[in-house]
Amino acid sequence: MSDPAPLIRARGIRRSYAVGDRTLEILHGVDLDLYPGERLCLMGASGTGKTTLLNILGLLDRPTAGSVHIEGRDGWSLSVAERAELRNQRMGYVFQFYHLFAELNAVENAVLPAMIHHGAMAYMSHRKEYRDRALDLLTRFGLAERLKHRPGKLSGGEQQRVAIARALLLNPPILIADEPTGNLDRATGEKVLELLFAEQERRGLGLLLVTHDDSLAERCDRVIYMEDGLIRGQRVLRSVGGSTDSPELPSGEATAPA
Amino acid sequence: MYRFFLSQRYIRMRPINWIGTLSIFVAVSALILILAIMSGFLEKSREHLRGHLSDLVIAPSFDIPLNSNGQTPPRAAGPILEAVRAHPSVQAAAAQMVWFGMLVPPRGETVLSDPSGMGMVMVSFVGVDIPDEYGATSLRKDLEIKVENGLPGQRPENLDDPFAYPKDYERDPDERPLDCILMGERLAANWGLRKGDQVELATATLDPDTGSFRQAANRTVVLAGTYRSTFNEMDLSRIYMKREALADWLGRHGQYSQLVVKLRDYERDWVQTKADLRQELGQRGLIHPSPKTYTPGDFGWEIQTWEDSRHSMLAAIENERALLGIMLGLVLLVAGFGVFAILSMMVSEKRRDIGILSALGATPKGILTLFLSIGGLEALVGAFLGVVMGVYAAHNINDFELWLSSTFGIQIFDRKVYYFDHIPTVIEWGGIVLIAVAAVGTALVAAAIPALRAAYLNPVDALRYE
Ligand SMILES: Nc1ncnc2c1ncn2[C@@H]1O[C@H](COP(=O)(O)OP(=O)(O)OP(=O)(O)O)[C@@H](O)[C@H]1O
Ligand SMILES: [Mg+2]
Repeated sequence: MSDPAPLIRARGIRRSYAVGDRTLEILHGVDLDLYPGERLCLMGASGTGKTTLLNILGLLDRPTAGSVHIEGRDGWSLSVAERAELRNQRMGYVFQFYHLFAELNAVENAVLPAMIHHGAMAYMSHRKEYRDRALDLLTRFGLAERLKHRPGKLSGGEQQRVAIARALLLNPPILIADEPTGNLDRATGEKVLELLFAEQERRGLGLLLVTHDDSLAERCDRVIYMEDGLIRGQRVLRSVGGSTDSPELPSGEATAPA
Repeated sequence: MYRFFLSQRYIRMRPINWIGTLSIFVAVSALILILAIMSGFLEKSREHLRGHLSDLVIAPSFDIPLNSNGQTPPRAAGPILEAVRAHPSVQAAAAQMVWFGMLVPPRGETVLSDPSGMGMVMVSFVGVDIPDEYGATSLRKDLEIKVENGLPGQRPENLDDPFAYPKDYERDPDERPLDCILMGERLAANWGLRKGDQVELATATLDPDTGSFRQAANRTVVLAGTYRSTFNEMDLSRIYMKREALADWLGRHGQYSQLVVKLRDYERDWVQTKADLRQELGQRGLIHPSPKTYTPGDFGWEIQTWEDSRHSMLAAIENERALLGIMLGLVLLVAGFGVFAILSMMVSEKRRDIGILSALGATPKGILTLFLSIGGLEALVGAFLGVVMGVYAAHNINDFELWLSSTFGIQIFDRKVYYFDHIPTVIEWGGIVLIAVAAVGTALVAAAIPALRAAYLNPVDALRYE
């Protein structure tokens, strides 16, 4: 196989919650790969566990069983600090509700990942570089007039664009977006998506996207359908990386529940 | 970087955080003020307790035999003075004759006709040697002192001989020479006495043969001047005269009743000096011999330090200090709770931000320090302002109190109640630093609880919030 190595390789992901005195399993053993440059879409009814899965893949939530390899490293067997570093350097997150800091203006929000990465001294010596990068992104996203605005003074679409700039600031190879347009009207969502896809293409990112929007799914390279905590099938629209011959995903068939 | 950046931004953007600073500020400034005032009061109390007490007082029991052959301590002061002055730690020593008596009203009524006690006053007569007394006690200072509201021109003219007749005293050439006395300015004022007035004194003496009191002949004396010490009731009850004159009046059974001794360095030398003198004077038969070994708290005998004679009162003052410490601790606890409450609120309010920080790659340790530095920063600012305010208030408490009472008619400090005419404050920098450090420390401990909660917050739970 001459496939490029996957950015994310998840195997046998299970996640259960303790609800009262019984445990409720949300994910029943999910396998998933994300390849560089791939635009992967995750679809499924509400409550099937898409967000739960994304949090696990994004190293925010520990699976009850299974493994997540990020660029070959087992994310959940790393130390807390190493995992934090992976999140900071290798992944960008875009949330449905933007999740910006209300106290910071657009530029400050966008440079936050760099501030987290560096200590005070190191950051100050690279400050201009990061600010320029943030300004560049925000300007490209049409926010040149909104740089000093706090989130409270920005529209939903503008806030999401700041969030995307933040996610891209440190040039991570992986971008995880959970219903990034779910909170926006169609026209605005369209614009934000346009911009997201453009960046994805330009940078060759592996994009993992959750959506309920079929027309959006159409524009992805591959669509994975989830149902009740399992992957029920996938549709390959364009072959990117090794996605076509992902062994665990025979078309239309779910991975067997254990 | 984000820790510093976010902590100061959070503090700046959320005025409610200043409540934490405010609670530390109020606690620190109040503590410093309380400490200053309490220390001032305690110091004054200690001073007051000490009063006119000399470093050491040596008072032999003249009537108890020294040994089996019935010898008693010598009644003359010469030998014992010489022996005491020979000790290297002794700076000065003076012999005093102390006796009790009454001041008889000048209006011709007799003491006995006034059984209620009104119009006469119990006093101590203190017979002193000049200039020995000046070396060992504060008498010279008390005679020199000038006070704004004091009575002018009442001090004796010549301090080298304060018991001389006042310049303008017109002596009746026929009468026998009268003795001169010095009395406290307040006592003289209460009785309407002026320098040069004649005063009548009464006393009783102990008959050395029968052991019972008998009334001695009243004496007319001349007021040679007034003194003013820092101790009110002493001023109201002490009348100085020449030791010779007092001994003469009392029938010359004794020549001195005690030695007052001033040490070069009391704090350093008192233990050793007291032990040395016990042994030395005891061996020479000047006082009663006592065991060689000194036992602390054994103050019931003939040589006493001023602390010995105020033992239980001093212990009460020390208790007060311990109590003060506990109270201060409680105030800090409350301030710490202020920081805790504000920061807990903030952590709850900022759950989402904490989740985002996690997602963006912040470690739990980083989040912990973020919230700790918010608490620490608040406390530092509060403690700094508190120190400034506390010290300023302690310096100006009297002006402030005067302003309060003149503006609102509230009298916080009743000058009639205390022995001093202003609120005493003592700025102890050691204590202030301790308070500031303790306040910041308490704030950090209080901040640690919500900070830990933030650090171990599950980012997924935090992010689910909208
Ligand atoms: N902490 C939790 N404790 C118990 N149950 C949970 C917890 N978190 C999520 N769940 C449950 O897990 C299931 C999957 O939730 P999840 O948010 O992953 O769904 P989703 O597919 O993202 O849905 P949506 O499309 O509405 O966003 C839901 O039934 C939810 O109630
Ligand atoms: Mg979801």
